[in-house]
Amino acid sequence: MKAELDRRALRRVSVVFFWLVLIALAGLFFTNDFGIVDLHKTSIITAVGVDVTENEVQVTAQLAVPMPSQSGENVEYTAVQGSGETIADALNEINVKTGFYPQLQFCKLILLGDSCKEKNIFQVLGCFYRKNYSELTAKVAMCEGKASDMLSMKTSTSDMTASVILRALSDELKKSANVSGVNLKDIAVENFSVSSAAYMPYVEANKSGTSEEGGNGDNVGGDPPSGGSPEGGSGGGSSGGGSSGGGGQESGGGGGSAPGGNVEFTARKTACFSGGEFKGILDEQQSFALDILKNEIRLAVLPCDAGEYHYTLGLKNVKSKTELKIKDGKPLVTVKFGARAQIAGIKKPVDPAETAADDKLTGEVKEGADREMEARLSSLVEACRKSDCDILGIKTLLYKYHNSHYGRLKDSILSDMEVVYDVEINSVN
Amino acid sequence: MEISVRQICFILIFYNAASKLLQYPTLLSGYAGSGLLFSALVSFAVEGAVIWAVAYLSSKTEKTLFALVKDTFGEVAARIVYGFFAVFFILCSVLPLFEHKLYVHAIFYDTVPALFSFLPVFFFTVYAGSKPFKNIGRCADICMPVFILSFAFVAFMSLSEVDYTNLLPLNAAPAKSIFGGSLKTALYFTEPAYLLMFLGHYKYKKGDAARLVLSYAGGAAIVLFFLATFYGVYGGISSSRQFAISKTSLYFSAMDMIGRVDLFALYAMEFVMLFAYVLNIQLAVHCLVRCTGFKSPEILSFAVNAALFAVIVAFDRFYTAIQSLFAGWMWIPVVLFAVALPAAAWGLRRRRNES
Amino acid sequence: MPTLEKNINSVKKILTSADILVFEFISEGGKKFAAIYADGIADKALLGELVVKPLRAAEAEDGIEKVRLLLASPEVKDCNRIPDAVKEISDGNAVLFVDGEKDFFIIGLKSPPARAISEPPTQIAVKGPREGFIEDIKTNMGLVRKRIKSENLQIKTIKCGERSDTAVALVYIEGVCPAGLPEKIEKQISENEIDIIPDSSYISSFISKRPRSLFKRVGTAEKPDIFCAKICEGRVGILVDGSPIAVTAPYMIVEDFQTGEDYYQSSYRATTLRLIRAISVFIGILLPALYVSAQLFKSQLIPFRLLLKISSSVQGIPLSPSIEMFLTLLVLEVLNEASIRMPKYVGLALSIVGALVLGDTAVKAGIISTPAIIIIAFSAICLYTVPDLVETTATLRWIYLIVAGSIGSFGLVVLTGFIITYLCSENVYGVPLLAPFAPLVKGDLYDAMTKSNLYTLKNRPASLRSGDKVRLKNGNKR
Repeated sequence: MKAELDRRALRRVSVVFFWLVLIALAGLFFTNDFGIVDLHKTSIITAVGVDVTENEVQVTAQLAVPMPSQSGENVEYTAVQGSGETIADALNEINVKTGFYPQLQFCKLILLGDSCKEKNIFQVLGCFYRKNYSELTAKVAMCEGKASDMLSMKTSTSDMTASVILRALSDELKKSANVSGVNLKDIAVENFSVSSAAYMPYVEANKSGTSEEGGNGDNVGGDPPSGGSPEGGSGGGSSGGGSSGGGGQESGGGGGSAPGGNVEFTARKTACFSGGEFKGILDEQQSFALDILKNEIRLAVLPCDAGEYHYTLGLKNVKSKTELKIKDGKPLVTVKFGARAQIAGIKKPVDPAETAADDKLTGEVKEGADREMEARLSSLVEACRKSDCDILGIKTLLYKYHNSHYGRLKDSILSDMEVVYDVEINSVN
Repeated sequence: MEISVRQICFILIFYNAASKLLQYPTLLSGYAGSGLLFSALVSFAVEGAVIWAVAYLSSKTEKTLFALVKDTFGEVAARIVYGFFAVFFILCSVLPLFEHKLYVHAIFYDTVPALFSFLPVFFFTVYAGSKPFKNIGRCADICMPVFILSFAFVAFMSLSEVDYTNLLPLNAAPAKSIFGGSLKTALYFTEPAYLLMFLGHYKYKKGDAARLVLSYAGGAAIVLFFLATFYGVYGGISSSRQFAISKTSLYFSAMDMIGRVDLFALYAMEFVMLFAYVLNIQLAVHCLVRCTGFKSPEILSFAVNAALFAVIVAFDRFYTAIQSLFAGWMWIPVVLFAVALPAAAWGLRRRRNES
Repeated sequence: MPTLEKNINSVKKILTSADILVFEFISEGGKKFAAIYADGIADKALLGELVVKPLRAAEAEDGIEKVRLLLASPEVKDCNRIPDAVKEISDGNAVLFVDGEKDFFIIGLKSPPARAISEPPTQIAVKGPREGFIEDIKTNMGLVRKRIKSENLQIKTIKCGERSDTAVALVYIEGVCPAGLPEKIEKQISENEIDIIPDSSYISSFISKRPRSLFKRVGTAEKPDIFCAKICEGRVGILVDGSPIAVTAPYMIVEDFQTGEDYYQSSYRATTLRLIRAISVFIGILLPALYVSAQLFKSQLIPFRLLLKISSSVQGIPLSPSIEMFLTLLVLEVLNEASIRMPKYVGLALSIVGALVLGDTAVKAGIISTPAIIIIAFSAICLYTVPDLVETTATLRWIYLIVAGSIGSFGLVVLTGFIITYLCSENVYGVPLLAPFAPLVKGDLYDAMTKSNLYTLKNRPASLRSGDKVRLKNGNKR
C-alpha cells in the first residue's frame, strides 16, 4: 500500500516535472536564447589566405554571403582581411569587422603566401590544428606572391576564386599526377613522422591565354632560399595586389583582380618542407614523379622524345613503389614504376594508313618513355637528397621495415643511399 | 528470467565496443603510440579471461551474486559488497560523462555551447537508470542494428584514408608503454563486473559460456579494428585527435558533394553510446536497491544522477585534470571490482538452486 | 392474469418516447396481441410478414405454446421480465404480448439503418479484398464468419455502456488465441462502467493499461480480411456495434507498418514498401526538427551548396528558424484539421486557399522561406504512409521540433533514447510493444519490417505466444 502511494506520488512529481521541462524548452524555443552562434550570426568562410610580415600574420578570408532569394542560390563572395600576431587574432579582427563569428567548418582551402616560406610551417598553420572546430580536411597550398592577392583575383569561370583554385588542386588532378594535393592532416602526419618532411602544391596564377614560364628561383636542390624576392616570376602574383593590400582592409569579391583581366590557376609545382622549414619548390617534372610515387594514379600523361619526334603518352595501370633494402649494411632504395601506355599524340603529320595501330608503343618510344620517367624520378630523388628533405619517406621506410638499422642510418640515409630505378612502361595493346 | 544470454552477448559486443570508441583510442595512442594494438590486446586478454571465469561460474550456479555472497558471508556482507559495487559503477560513469559532454559539444554544435545544452542527458539517465534488467536487455537488442549500421558506415568511409603501415614496426613501442597504456586505460574495461551483476538473472544453457566469451572477443575485434584504422589514418598525430570515432570518416572523397553524412552515423552511434554509458548507472541503481533495500529505483536513480550532475557542474572545465586523475588511480578499483572480485566469486558457495 | 393493456402500460411507463410504437391486432379467432417496437430500427415489413400474418390464424383459446408455433420468425425468444423487454425494444427488436399471458415473446426484427458495405477510405487496396466493416455489428460478425468457417471461431458478445447498452463482440479462435487472453480482455472491458460507447476507441482505452500513453496499445482493422488474419495469428478481435473500426489485441508497433496488401503482392515489393514506410515515418518526424537544429546548431549537417541555397532563402525572413518552422507546421495542422471538418466543396476551396494563397503569398512576402514549406509538406506526406500511426507521429513531430529548436540534434538523440527506453519497457497482454525487435524474436523478423515469402512464414508470430504455433503445414516442402 505504501509502495503504491509512493509510486503515485512519484508519478505526480514526474508529471509536474515533465510540464516544467516542457515550459522551459518552449521558452528556449521561442526566445532562441541559446547563448550560441547560429547560422544567421556566422559568416561562412570558404577559404583562408595567410601572409606573414615580420611581426604579424595577415589573414584574408573569402566569405560566402548569401543574399535574399526566393528561387535558388544567390551568394556573393567577399574577401575580408584581418591581421594580428596569430591567425586567431586575425580571425578575431574579421569577427570585429563583419559582426559575424567566423566559422571554419566550410573552409576548404588554406592558401599560404610566399612570405610564409620564412616561417616554420606549423607556426603558421598551428591555429588550425589547435582549433577544435576546424577539421583537418582543408586543402593546403602555397602560392606565389601574396595569398590575399591571389584570393582577390578575378577568374573567368567563377565568382569564388577559392573554388577555382580548389579545382586546380582537385583529387581528379591528383589522380592524373598533375597536382600533389594535400590537406592539413596529410601535412601533419608526414611532418610528424620520422621523415619529418611535408609537401604541398604551389599555386601559380596565369593570365588567360598565356603559358607559364620559368621558375621562381626556389627550386629544390638549387640555391637555398634567400628569402628575397622571387626571380623569374611568372606574372600575376606578388605584384598583382590591386586594392586589397593592407591589413584590416575589406574588399568586395574579385575587387583585387590581377591587372589585365581574368586569370587561371595551376598547381603543377610542389613546395617542400623539412621539419616545418621551407626547403624549395619541385619543378613540374619532379612534382609529376612525386605524385606518381605518392598517389594512386588512374591516368597520367607523359611527354617524351623518341627518335626525331615528340610523343605524348597516356599512362594507365600505373604501379609505383619505393622499396628500401639494407644490403651489406648499406641502404639500397629501389624506385619501381610500371605502367601500360599508349600514344596519345605525336608531333608529326598523321598517316591515315597507320592510324589503326599508331597508338602502340614501338621499342623506340618505349625506351624514350622509360628514359623520361627515369629522368624525372632521379631528378626528384636527387632534389630530395640535396635538400635533405625526405618527402619520399625513406626514413619512414627505414623505421617501419628495418627498425634495427634505424638508429645507425637515420641521419645519413638520404646521402648514403644507393638508388636503383626499375621503370617498365609497356604498350597497352 | 530478466535478461537473455543473447542480450548479454549484444552488450558484450556492442556496448563494449561503443564505450571504447571515443577517447580510448586517442589516449591509448598517446600512452602506447604505434603499440596501441598490443596494449589493447593485453587489456582484452585479461578481461576476456575474467569474462570466461564469470560465464563459466554461471554454468555452476543459478544464484545471483547477492545470493552467493549472502549464502557465504551473510546478508550484511552481501549488502556491503553491493554498496561497494554501486560506488564502483558510479565512479566508472564519471569520466565517460565528461567525455560525452565534450564529444556532444564537438559533434552536435558548431560553436562552443554552454554546459546547459548537455544537461538533458540527465533526463534520460534518471529515467533509464531506474529500469530493470529486462529493459537493459531489450535496449541492447535495439542497439544492435543501430551500432552495426553506423559503425559499418563510419568504417567504410574511413578506409579510403587508412595506411595500416603506420602501425609498423610492431616492436617499436617498449613493453613499459604497452603495459602502462593498458593500466592507464583500465577504466574502460569493466565488462566482467557487468557480467557478475547479471549472474543469476539469466538462464544458462550449455555452450553459453563460449558464446559470451566469443561475444566479448567480437567486441574486442571491433575495437582493435578501429584502433588500427584510427592510427592508420592519423599516425603520429593520433594522440592529438580527440573523439576518435568522429575523426576517421572525415576524408571520404564524396563528402564534398554530399556533406557531412557521417554525422548521421555518428549521431546513431551516440545513441548506442548513451545506452552503453547508462548501463553503469543502471547497475549502480541495481546495487543500491539491493544494498539499501529501498524499493524505489526511481529515487535512487535520481540520487545517483544528482551526484553525477554535481560532479559535472563542479568540474566542468577540468576534464584534463579529471582524466589524468582517473588514468592515474582508477585501475585500482577496476582491478579489484572487474578482475579480482569476479575471479574470487568462484570461491563463493555456488550450489545450484533446488528449483 | 395480466391483461394486454397492463403489459403495454408497463412498457410505456418506462419507454415514454413517442417513437415507441404499439401495434395491437386481433386474430380471426378473436385472440388479442400487441407488438411494441421502436420506430426506425425495427423492420415493420417483417413484423407484418412473420408475426402478424401467421397469428391471424390463432384461436381465442390458444395458449402461449400454440402461439409460438404459429410465429414464422426464426428469431423468437421467450421472456417474462418487463425490463428485458424494454432493453430488447431499445435494441431494435419487437416484443409481442399475448392477451392473458404473463410470458411474452421477443421477436428478432432488428434492422437499424446501415450503410452498404464499402471499401474503407483509410485502407484502400489496389490488390486484395475491398470489403470494409460497417457500423452494424451483426453485418461485421457476418463478414468475419464468411472468412473463418472454423468451428473454433468464438464470438462472445457482451454489453457495454449503461445507457447505450452497446454490443461488443470478442472474436477469437480457440486453440490459436493464448489461453485466458479473451477472459482478461473481457474482464478489463467489463470493469468500466460508462454511460455510452459511441466508438471502438472507447474500448481501446479500456483495454490499454496506460490510456494516457502517447503510443497506441491496441491494433485496429477496418477490413475483415485484415481482422481475420490478425485473429488467425492468435489475437483477440473486438467488434463494437456502431463502429466500423475493429480493435485487436495484443498489439505490436510493427503491425502498423504492415498493410493487408503486403500479403497479396510479391514479397520483394512488400519489403520495399515496408522499408519505405518506416523510413518515411522517421523522415516525417525528424525532418523539420533536423532542419531547425541544423540551422541553429550544426550547419555542417547540410551539404555546402545546399546550405548556400538555404541561406539565400532564409535571408530576410523576419522569423527565427524555429519559429518559422513552428508556424509553418501550425498552418499545416490547421489546414489539415479544417479540410477534414469542412464540407466537401468548401474543403476543396480551402485546400486551394491553403496551398496557393497562404503558401505562395507567404513565401513571396518573405515571411516564410521556401525550404520550410518544402520540408513541412514532405514531412506531412511522409507521415501519412502509415496512417494508423499518424496520431502518435504527428504529436512526436511537435515534440521533436520543440526539442530540436531548444537543444539541437543532441536533444533529438536523447529524446529518441528516452522513447526507446520507454517502449522497451512496455508490454500489451504480455507481448512486448517493440517485438519482434526488442526482445529480438528471430522467426518473427521474417514478417516485420521485411516480408518474406509465404512459405517462410510457416509459424504464427512467436511474440504472440499462440497456442497453435504452426500455420502452414507443407511449408517445408518448398
